[in-house]
Amino acid sequence: MSGLVRMRLAGFLRTGRALAPLLAGLLALAVLYGGGRARPAEAYGVSAVVLFPVLAWQTKILLDVEPDVQRRLALVLVGPARERAAGLLAAALAGAGTVAVALVFPWLVGGVVAPSGAGEQSLPVGLALGLWAHLLALPPAVALGALASRAVTGSAGYGVAVLALGAVGTLALGLSGSAVPWLVPPLLATARALGGGVAPATGGLLSAWAVAWTAVVLAGYLRWRRVRP
Amino acid sequence: MRVEDVWLRYRRGGPWVLRAAAVSIDPGEVAVVLGRNGAGKSTLLQLAAGVLSPTRGRVLDRPRRVGWVPERFPADQPFTVTAYLTAMGRAAGLPATDTAAAVDRWTERLGLTRFRGVRLAELSKGTAQKVGLAQAMLRRPGLLVLDEPWEGLDAAARELVPGLVDEVLAAGGSVLVSDHRGETVRLPGAARWTVADGTVGTEPPAVAPAAAHAVVEVSVPAARVAGTVARLRADGHHVLRVRTDSSPPDAPATPGEVAAR
Repeated sequence: MSGLVRMRLAGFLRTGRALAPLLAGLLALAVLYGGGRARPAEAYGVSAVVLFPVLAWQTKILLDVEPDVQRRLALVLVGPARERAAGLLAAALAGAGTVAVALVFPWLVGGVVAPSGAGEQSLPVGLALGLWAHLLALPPAVALGALASRAVTGSAGYGVAVLALGAVGTLALGLSGSAVPWLVPPLLATARALGGGVAPATGGLLSAWAVAWTAVVLAGYLRWRRVRP
Repeated sequence: MRVEDVWLRYRRGGPWVLRAAAVSIDPGEVAVVLGRNGAGKSTLLQLAAGVLSPTRGRVLDRPRRVGWVPERFPADQPFTVTAYLTAMGRAAGLPATDTAAAVDRWTERLGLTRFRGVRLAELSKGTAQKVGLAQAMLRRPGLLVLDEPWEGLDAAARELVPGLVDEVLAAGGSVLVSDHRGETVRLPGAARWTVADGTVGTEPPAVAPAAAHAVVEVSVPAARVAGTVARLRADGHHVLRVRTDSSPPDAPATPGEVAAR
């Protein structure tokens, strides 16, 4: 399966289509960090929210770069389960690259301040929480991007609609006071939690929420792919 | 491989493309899938290859290694011929050295050597089709599924397909071929599956594959007749006669003629 993961990553990186989401991500981060300086955990919480649609879009592009017939050739080569897993894994690895850029970016542009006084989170804790926030955003983004991929949606219009609905829904339904926050991944909830201190129980709950949401969406993706190879 | 009472449609409520299809193919057998455009030939082949899943019914005993040559090779990919075939070999789980050897072997066999550094998108249709054949043969398939393999190939390249079919059959594999151009006369021992109105009819080979023979006329230099006859007999061929006085009307006169069966 690793061979197919490498092939798909190579296909994605060589076409130049990888540039569009990367530039969009950098632009979003530049806007985010252009306004002022914040503590690392807080800034990273917002950064993960901003990157969520970018990571989903990147996943859709990675999966869509491969022609339909080539995707089917890969399916014949490795079987349906591995073919799907290889696509999701390739998207997760590409997403991890984008996350790495997002973690480094604020330090390059002076968007974050290192903790100075007692009572503040230490720098390693801030970085770890930031990494956690982004890793919480990545699986739901990959799942959403997969659901929006051409293999499932068939047309560019439906694909964009799924992406937009997912991204806007995550923001709109994730606001505090939302009646159905569990319908969307807990990105805003995580960002709010990172504004103060994150209790271990809260962290565990948010992680489980993100995993559950991803599992449900991926189950839908895999179910659709059964009839849309 | 057995297809048992398979019904297939592309979407819920859509028309059935295959209805109660029941066919089977054993190791060492080849079947030609016939039918007019849109009859469901490609659907049946993709079902056999494992690309499509039956809506109802099941496909049993599909060999683990399947080679599928689609009707149109997807050339819109940012790889050279070598990079593509190497990536496909590695994705299929072949070790690096075996992949390199298989890529060397099949690019040479299919006349792709001088295109190895060319990007897929720049290949002609026929050359891209050969890349499609090569990727299916990288690991010896237990089932080779060829969807209109002659499409886009020139006269010389068309002869390659029966060679590949023969190689898979000799190794105990099975082969499915679709064809709407009558090229399958090149496969005289093949069973015929006819797809029409969603149903699949089958006809056994005109002659049983084991009993099917063809006569090949071979011209060799007179001095090498005895050696050639001995070699042909050693290979299990039946030499019908040796003649020195005539040649086929469309071939240049040569010193010796061997007719072998």
